[in-house]
Amino acid sequence: MLAVLLLALATLYVTWTAGRLDRLHARVDAAWAALDAQLVRRASAARAVASALPPGPQREALEQAARATLEVGFAGREAVENDLSRALRAAVPLLPRGDALQELESASTRVGLARSFHNAAVRDARVVRLRRIPRALRLAGHRSMPEYFEIDDTTVPH
Amino acid sequence: MRVGIACPYTWDVPGGVQSHVRDLAEHLLALGHEVSVLSPVDDPDRADLPPWVVPAGRAVPIPYNGSVARLVFGPLSLARARRWVREGEFDVLHVHEPTVPSVSMLACMAATGPMVATFHTATARSRALQVFGTALQPVLEKVSGRIAVSPAARRVVVEHLGGDAVLIPNGVDVARFDGAAPLPGRPAGPTVVFLGRIDEGRKGLAVLLEALPELVHLVPDVRLLVAGPGDVDDVRAAVPRSLRDRVELLGLVEPEDKPRVFASGSVYCAPNTHGESFGIVLVEAMAAGTPVVASDLEAFRRVLQGGRAGVLVPVRDPGALAGALGDLLLDEPRRRALARVARAAVERYDWQTVTAQVVAVYETVLAAVPPTAHVEVDADLEVLAALLEDGEEDDAGRVLTTLRRWIAERPRRDRVPAPR
Repeated sequence: MLAVLLLALATLYVTWTAGRLDRLHARVDAAWAALDAQLVRRASAARAVASALPPGPQREALEQAARATLEVGFAGREAVENDLSRALRAAVPLLPRGDALQELESASTRVGLARSFHNAAVRDARVVRLRRIPRALRLAGHRSMPEYFEIDDTTVPH
Repeated sequence: MRVGIACPYTWDVPGGVQSHVRDLAEHLLALGHEVSVLSPVDDPDRADLPPWVVPAGRAVPIPYNGSVARLVFGPLSLARARRWVREGEFDVLHVHEPTVPSVSMLACMAATGPMVATFHTATARSRALQVFGTALQPVLEKVSGRIAVSPAARRVVVEHLGGDAVLIPNGVDVARFDGAAPLPGRPAGPTVVFLGRIDEGRKGLAVLLEALPELVHLVPDVRLLVAGPGDVDDVRAAVPRSLRDRVELLGLVEPEDKPRVFASGSVYCAPNTHGESFGIVLVEAMAAGTPVVASDLEAFRRVLQGGRAGVLVPVRDPGALAGALGDLLLDEPRRRALARVARAAVERYDWQTVTAQVVAVYETVLAAVPPTAHVEVDADLEVLAALLEDGEEDDAGRVLTTLRRWIAERPRRDRVPAPR
């Protein structure tokens, strides 16, 4: 009798945890989609402000950095986004105030928000995945372990 | 956008979280968003209840976090919260203080869509969080965007719940306080204003009353104006008989009278002892142009820019408080200078600035919903490519190809999203 009860409880726990992991992974995927979109938006804002710079190495560096972020896959993304942040930090003081700079500021802020939310989602998912029972029973299925996305996203001095 | 906001504390009782929610709701409405607020309400028939407030029942007073919190919890409230979430069909649900056992937590349990949570509490050691932190995790992990109103509140989130929160300060309607007239028919002369619950120890009225005899010694014609709910007789009993005529007790003041209360003071005094996460009253006093003398708490130090925009005094030190108040009351040029610095310092707390930041959070969270169909994704790509088309033509084509490749590389490509 007791064994049956325990078995029922264990089954309940496992099903619930599997469902929970599924939701957590969905949240990570969605948060990544949002972060991805904001990074693309930032890259396109960077290209827009680059065209406002006078021709020269500064402008070329910024255009190159923006282009690189659009061409890389997931691996190596952090490095090229960091390069873009660096190029933007160098370029922003030279830029005239205007719509293009405002769009860049707005995009940069949202990259910061989206990155914070993405990493919070990754953390929540990892905490559950790394527990003993979900790991032993492979409750996460075939999905790869969610990875943090760490870049220095400050581009505009406040 | 349709925004549902859950407020855990009783709407009828004044408090920091309640006014935050009210102001946020009003500013979102002013921007053209649709807003519904779920909150405990003691008297659902009161005439001044805004039409966008949905009462969640009467609250029960429970000592919590050093104050008396009035909370609702239970199956009936959960059912109400569930109905509110279902019927509201919100684009985004914004819960305030979801760790407090009240409607925010219930709404959080009931909802599934995009969710934002704001954390106000800055108590370093919250017993409730220590006990229930782990148990709350499954509820809180549904929240996709976390906001903290102060660095202290953010630290609480990081320590007790894990993970980060973005910092968006509390808002103040600067224009509502700027240039307010003093209350009518009040005697002239140096006046110290206190505003806050008078029966709540951590607001520190006791410290100020203890400082009063020495302050009278320094500034013989000083008066004390005390505004806030609580037992007025208890306060009167705590004042020496000879000084009672100098203490004016206003009791609970209506929110619309607050600017005039600040304007009636030569100095605003915040002798709080602990447990302040932000110090919105300080910002209000500063917006009203009243110089501030406040306890040297971390939150206050931040608002007062380390003492540039107001005077900081040691916590629970009546002697130091009397000295600082006396000095400032006798130095009008310094009061004017402080008020000027303070007025500039409050710009970043103006609700217009703050609401724009909150809306940016909503939009970021809304962007984080799984794509519904490949056709739609493709349509989005065309739009994106069109947006990028300011460059050369082959550039746009390349961007499109790259984006397609990303979509294909994404791990979730094989998963069919559940219909919403």
